[in-house]
Amino acid sequence: MLEIKGLSKSFGGIVVAQDIDLVMRPGRILGLIGPNGAGKTSLFNLVSGVYAPDAGAITLDGAPLDGLDLHERARRGLSRTWQHVRLFPSLTVLDNLIIGAREYPAESMVTLMLSPGKIRKSREAARAKALDVLARIGLSDTAGKSIADLSYGQQKLVGVARALMNDGRCLLLDEPMAGVEGQAYEAMQKIVREVAATGVAVCVVEHNVAFIRDLCDEAVFMFQGRILARGSVTDLIANPQLTELYFGH
Amino acid sequence: MDYLYSVAILVGLFIILASSFNLIIGYGGLISIAHPIFYGLGAYTSALLARDAGLPVPVCMLLGTLLAMILSIAMALPALRVSGDYLLIASIGFQLGMIELIKNFRFTGGAGGVSGIPAFLVPTFGREVYVALVLGVAVGVVLLVRRIAHSDYGRAISAMRDDEQAFAALGRDAKWIKVSLFALGSGIAGFAGALYAHYFRFVTSEQFEILMSSTILTMVVVGGLKTPWGPVVGAILLQILPQAITFLNLPPALLGPLQGLLFTGLVLIFMFLRPGGLVQAGSTWTAHSRARKEV
Repeated sequence: MLEIKGLSKSFGGIVVAQDIDLVMRPGRILGLIGPNGAGKTSLFNLVSGVYAPDAGAITLDGAPLDGLDLHERARRGLSRTWQHVRLFPSLTVLDNLIIGAREYPAESMVTLMLSPGKIRKSREAARAKALDVLARIGLSDTAGKSIADLSYGQQKLVGVARALMNDGRCLLLDEPMAGVEGQAYEAMQKIVREVAATGVAVCVVEHNVAFIRDLCDEAVFMFQGRILARGSVTDLIANPQLTELYFGH
Repeated sequence: MDYLYSVAILVGLFIILASSFNLIIGYGGLISIAHPIFYGLGAYTSALLARDAGLPVPVCMLLGTLLAMILSIAMALPALRVSGDYLLIASIGFQLGMIELIKNFRFTGGAGGVSGIPAFLVPTFGREVYVALVLGVAVGVVLLVRRIAHSDYGRAISAMRDDEQAFAALGRDAKWIKVSLFALGSGIAGFAGALYAHYFRFVTSEQFEILMSSTILTMVVVGGLKTPWGPVVGAILLQILPQAITFLNLPPALLGPLQGLLFTGLVLIFMFLRPGGLVQAGSTWTAHSRARKEV
C-alpha cells in the first residue's frame, strides 16, 4: 500500500502539489483525473523521486520513501511509466524489457568480470520473464524489433511492459492511452487489470475518461495541485462543478 | 630501428589511451578532459616508486594504475552526484590543478621532470619484448572494451546513455555505472602512463598537458565513437600521419603548426562528412556472439 500524507511542492509561485493525502491500496486501480496543469504528473514525479517534496511523507507498505533516489524507490517496489513513453531507442524491444528486470544480469562491473555463471542465470530468467510479459500484451512478434519500428500504441504497451518487469508493489501509469487507438485499448485494459489482480496497487493518470471509467475502482479529481473530490469515476464525471473545472466554461 | 620501436610503442600507448577514453566519452557519454593527467599520474607514481622507493617495477605499475583509479573516483563522485556537466568542470580543475602541483613539488622533480627512471624488460630482453608487451596490453584493452560494450553491462550502459532518468526509474543505479566507467578508463590511462615511464625513462609535466586531451579526443572521433575498433584506427592514423610529415623535410617552424592543422582539419572534416568516424557504430546495441546465442 502506498500512502501519501501532506505532500506539497511548489516551483517559485507555481504550486504543483498542496497538502495531498492519498492512499493507493493493493489490488485496487485508482484513477487520477483533472485538467492539464492540475498536478497529476507532478504527483507521480514526487512519488517516484524525480522531484523532492517541500513537505509531506510517502510510505510504501509502511516503509518511508523520503530522501530515496529514483532507482532506490524502484528497488523498493515502485514502478512507473512516462507520459512520453521514454523507451531506449538504441535497444530492441526485448532488451528494453530486460533492462527493467528486478534481478538484472551484470548490475556491476565486478559481477560482469567475476560471476559469469550468475550473470547467465539471471540473463536467462530476465529473458524468459520479458518474453512472457510480451506475450501477455500480445507483442511477442516485436521482441527483436527496434523501437522506431513500432507504432506509438505499441510503444505505449512496451512502456507498461517494461514497468512490469520490476515486479513492483505499486504501479503508476502516466497517460497510457494518450495517442493510442484501436486494439491497444483492449490490450492495455487487460494487462492493467491482470496486474491489479496480483495485489499490485495501480494508479492511472489519463485524459481518456472512458478508459478511466471502464478500468478504475475509484478516482480522485485534481485541480491546481489539490485534490478536490474522491469517489467513483461515474460520480465525479456527473458532478457539474468538476466538469466545468475540467472543460472550462 | 630504435625510432621504429618508439613509434610502435607510442601507437600502442595511444590505442590504450583512445580506447579507455572511448569507454568514458563514447560508451559512458561522460565529458572529461582529464585523461592526460591520469596518464601522467600513472607515469609519475610508477616512476617515483621504482626510482626512489626501489619497489619492483610491476608493483609500481599496478600502484600507479590504482592511484589513477582512486583519484578518478574521488573526482567523479561529487561531480556525478549533481549532473554530468559538473564532471567536465571538475575535470578541467583537476587537470590544471594536478599539473601545477606536479610542476611545483620537489619530489616530482618540478618543471624539470623525473629522469633516471628504472627500465623494465628492455635491459634483459631487449626493446622488441617491450614493444610486444605494449601492443599486447593494447590488444587486451580493446578486447576488454569490446567485452564490456557488448555484455549485459553494455546493454545497461547503452540504456543509461539513451535516457538516464527512465533508466533510474527501473531500479538501475546510473551513478555507479558512470563512476565505474570513469574509474576503469582512468585506471587504464594510468597503466599506459606507467608503461610510458619505464620505456622512455623520463617524464615531465609538459607531456601530460590539457592539449593532449584534444589529441586523444580526435583519435576517438575520427576513428569512431562507441566502437571498439574505431579508437584503434584513429590512434594508428593520428600517430603515423604526424610522423610521416616529419619526412617531408619541412622547416621545424612549420612542422608544429602543420601537425596542429592536421588534427583540427581532420576533426572538422569528419564532423561534416562522417560524424560517426571511420568505423561507424550500429544504431542498435547488440550482445557479443556467445551471449546472443543465449539471449
